[in-house]
Amino acid sequence: MAESTLESPLPVVTPKKEHDSALLRVAKYMAVRLVTMVFTVILGLYLTILIANMGGYVDQIRRGEIRDFVQQQVRNDPGMKNLSATQRSKIIEDRIVNAEKRLGLDRPFAIRSFAFLRNAVTLNLGFAEFITADNGSRMVKNIVLERLPSTLMLFGMTNILLFFGTLFAALSLSRSYGSWLDRLIIALSPMSAAPGWFYGIFLIVIFAAYLHVLPFGGMVDVPPPDNRVDYALSMLKHLTLPALALALNQVAFAIYNNRTFFLIYSSEDYVEMAKAKGLTSRDVERKYILRPTLPTNITNFAFLLIGIWGGAPIFEGVFNWPGLGRTQLVAAGLFDTPVIVGTTVIFAYLLAITVFLLDFVYALVDPRVKIGSESRSS
Amino acid sequence: MPKDKVLRIEDLILHFKTRQGTVQAVDGVFFDLRYEEAVVVLGESGCGKSSLAKAILRLLPRNVERYQGKIYLENTEIMSMDDEEFRKNVRWVGISLVPQAAMNALNPVLKVGEQVAEPAMVHLGVSKPEAVSMVKKMFQHVGVPEDFINRYPFELSGGMRQRVAIAMSLVTSPNLIILDEPTSALDVLTQASIFNVLKRLKKELGIGFILITHDIATSSELADTVAVMYAGQIVEVSDAYRFFEKPLHPYSQKLMASVPRLHSSTEPEFITGRPPSLIALPKGCRFKERCPFRFEKCDEDPPVFQQEGRQVRCWLYA
Amino acid sequence: MNALRKFFAEISQYPSAVVGLILILGLVAFSIYTVVTLPYEEAISLWRGDENVWYKTPKTAQPKWINWFRQDDVPETFWLNTAEGQGTKTEEFSNGTNKIFISLPFEYNSPYFPQEVTIYFTSQFTDKEPFVDVKVITPTGEEIRIDSFAVGHKHTYRFSQDQKLQRRLKGNRPEQGIFMDLETEQLQAVPGTYELQIEGVAFEENSTVDAELVVYGEVYGWAGTDHRRRDITIALMWGAPVALAFGLLAALGTTVTTMIIAAAGTWYGGWVDEVIQRITEVNLILPFLSILIMIGTFYSKSLSVMLVAVIALSIFGGGIKIFRANFLQIKESPYVEAARAYGASDIRIIMRYLVPRIIPLLLPQLVILVPTYVFLEASLTIIGLGDPVLPTWGKLIREGIGNGALLQGQFYWVLQPAVILLITGLSFAMVGFSMDRIINPKLRSV
Repeated sequence: MAESTLESPLPVVTPKKEHDSALLRVAKYMAVRLVTMVFTVILGLYLTILIANMGGYVDQIRRGEIRDFVQQQVRNDPGMKNLSATQRSKIIEDRIVNAEKRLGLDRPFAIRSFAFLRNAVTLNLGFAEFITADNGSRMVKNIVLERLPSTLMLFGMTNILLFFGTLFAALSLSRSYGSWLDRLIIALSPMSAAPGWFYGIFLIVIFAAYLHVLPFGGMVDVPPPDNRVDYALSMLKHLTLPALALALNQVAFAIYNNRTFFLIYSSEDYVEMAKAKGLTSRDVERKYILRPTLPTNITNFAFLLIGIWGGAPIFEGVFNWPGLGRTQLVAAGLFDTPVIVGTTVIFAYLLAITVFLLDFVYALVDPRVKIGSESRSS
Repeated sequence: MPKDKVLRIEDLILHFKTRQGTVQAVDGVFFDLRYEEAVVVLGESGCGKSSLAKAILRLLPRNVERYQGKIYLENTEIMSMDDEEFRKNVRWVGISLVPQAAMNALNPVLKVGEQVAEPAMVHLGVSKPEAVSMVKKMFQHVGVPEDFINRYPFELSGGMRQRVAIAMSLVTSPNLIILDEPTSALDVLTQASIFNVLKRLKKELGIGFILITHDIATSSELADTVAVMYAGQIVEVSDAYRFFEKPLHPYSQKLMASVPRLHSSTEPEFITGRPPSLIALPKGCRFKERCPFRFEKCDEDPPVFQQEGRQVRCWLYA
Repeated sequence: MNALRKFFAEISQYPSAVVGLILILGLVAFSIYTVVTLPYEEAISLWRGDENVWYKTPKTAQPKWINWFRQDDVPETFWLNTAEGQGTKTEEFSNGTNKIFISLPFEYNSPYFPQEVTIYFTSQFTDKEPFVDVKVITPTGEEIRIDSFAVGHKHTYRFSQDQKLQRRLKGNRPEQGIFMDLETEQLQAVPGTYELQIEGVAFEENSTVDAELVVYGEVYGWAGTDHRRRDITIALMWGAPVALAFGLLAALGTTVTTMIIAAAGTWYGGWVDEVIQRITEVNLILPFLSILIMIGTFYSKSLSVMLVAVIALSIFGGGIKIFRANFLQIKESPYVEAARAYGASDIRIIMRYLVPRIIPLLLPQLVILVPTYVFLEASLTIIGLGDPVLPTWGKLIREGIGNGALLQGQFYWVLQPAVILLITGLSFAMVGFSMDRIINPKLRSV
């Protein structure tokens, strides 16, 4: 080909930015998100405190704590052993009053709440009234953090599997528009109306109560097996019905949603261009349908997870799964205030971290973040 | 088929079904294209022009009802190829496309350079570095700065995106490029520069163009042959010189009369009425409702008549 | 009107939507029927139920339609009351005494035994209690002497508590023994006509005795009974208006409020929009059910409080993004620009232009949202935060599971409310999904 005799093109109007490396841009973005998230968490926890303390329950927790602490202190002080009971009581009461004053419990509500807020943010969640952790600790933080992995395992694993499974199933389904499978999925999609715990009840009735093939609930057999393999198998067996319940709620709808999504996006002009360019259909699917829709899919996944975490108490309740949600139910039944409030705090943190992580993944897949264009349409 | 023709289209038909009925978007299109020539397909909105581009490249919608005809690309009939053969041998290597609004035609999450390089890697089997150097050359041809290779589409202006689309269409050195309204979304200055690029490419690279547009004035610069499309059919094919001088078909005449001229005292005319809907087409000549020369014979479908090397679909030339 | 007709024409093309609509109409009719025939106060007091209310029903009995699917029927529950003219009662006055003869014949055709058999006596007298002698005549003509005793104003004779009778029946439990063939001692009830005969003597003028025989079978009513002998149909019936009301009010309240907030945010832009975005983010990380548990445990479980809390926690949810996207689109459109040009106030533009455009898009979302709240109400009840007095579907599930229904095979207790919940949820969902496919322009072609 001849070299073109090129005159300079017309002046270019481009939003020309100094190109920092993509890494730096992502880091800056995440830093901004982190700060925003911190504010959001603080606000959220403050709201939680407000709701809890409208009836003075957080005050109650703190007062109980102080009383316990002072009583312990006096009881264990060898110098006080010789005093009479009434003298000891007076010392205890005085100390309590002082402690309360020092910690600001006699100050107006607004100021008190900030003290509680600081505690909540630093996970200083107090002592439980009735519940103990498996390792014997009475600290709410320990009780709650002990239960967290079970919840994560149940919902985290299942949801990630479901997410990827439905994504690829939907992609392949979008190829066979109008087929019987397509119409079946469309017909089944309203199944999402019933939540996971509801299908759980049906599943338990059928497989546990009637057929006796799967357990009613819990995470492992009782007594738990010694060796790791059996333990893992036992957990898998107990995971079956919950996972199935979640799947019944989500699968048809998720595949339908994604498939509709892909079909809509496959009528985008750039998809047609890709076909016109003679790319293989696999390439078209991967680079022109899946990749551009990834940001939206990530956002949807975030909402999905938040919805599921948010409903954890009842799901774990139905399956008697020893996680965070069930702990809160038990605490509610026992009216163990510190644990009730503590689990809410931990859940809030959990949700915040989930959102933050998914924001990070979003930053990786949406080039507008990497390049730093102004308004990201949310 | 004569050796100097790169493309011959015979009786191309594309109908698709909608809730309201069957849309006969392309209903018997025909024309030839020689090497290094540009055919301009002229027509109003709604005459089926864009569907023509899709019909040639086999970009069929989900609801296609009828798709037939013969297309000869350099002596090979391509309508009868199976899809995989068509993808490998016709798409982009034989015929490429510059779409209407390049804003949407570029994948927003892929870098521009990657998208331009794709056809080269897929069809010509070149390695990535080789493809990149090809992209740079193409960018030079169209006037896009080299460092735009690593930009994303949203960072480019409309004119730049269109140039990128043209570069993309060139990268596999096809025999022929279809341009679907390449400048209708751009301002006049950019339009002019794009057309300059096209003119230069025609001369330097010897590519054939099919330029689909409604803009008579600008396309007249590029055209060697003019094919006029109305209501899904080609109603006149003529060499450019004689066409712009003296169009044959009444519709073409009205079109030319509607173009304002710089140095003329006559007012531009307009055509009364509207083009027929592609769903409920009337019997007989499709232009008869708006034709000033209508007579009884027009109630029959007119065939294509030859007239001194030009073709007209009109009973006036029987 | 035309749009409505066109809408119905389109939706009739979707069979699932048609089914859904019929079911919804059925549920609404059912709810209205319930509220009319079983007024709220009555339902609550029935459900609070004490001995006097539910004395005639068996414990955890299955629904009577179970027998349609069985070869050998399970015994039904029935009662015969002379005070209501059932059976025969003859009185013979002579010498100041009243000889009373009561005959209560009944058919018993199930091979299984009843749960309990009890006679409730009521008598009228001033000083002297009447005296009765009770017998049962079996289908084979055999006469089984039951017992003789004095009867006060109210007297309850429970067959199962009569030890002497048990001994006479060869150690078999009386409510079974009287139905058995005592020769063979086969544990199967002999079918046929049985007769309860009561011969009584009253010692005053105007003194008389009435007897009500109650045979507690294993089935009762259309839905069975629970552990407190309450007829489950009451909760099944009242669950409908509660579920529909909660679901519709919550869905409506949330959707409308969210829409207004989104409209205000997009229209006023600037700091208003920012604040709304921030609130939405904070709301995102508040764990929904956990907060409801806090509110329910610390403050109040009443349904109206929960309704308000649920709406408050939902209005800044994901719906805002959808509404915002649509509003932004409309805001940029030419006719809105024209409206601003002629000086329309902000409120007017919001109310007259933005809102009407968005209502068609809002409707499918609204319908799809209803099942979410219906199930939410059920879930709150199941975890113990339910309204303490209302008999709802969730209550049934909770009490069923809590009283071991699943372990004891009393599946009807849990499955009936579950199935009707499912039907309610699915019907709204099917209609909503079909509406979405019609109304949402992007979904038209897929």
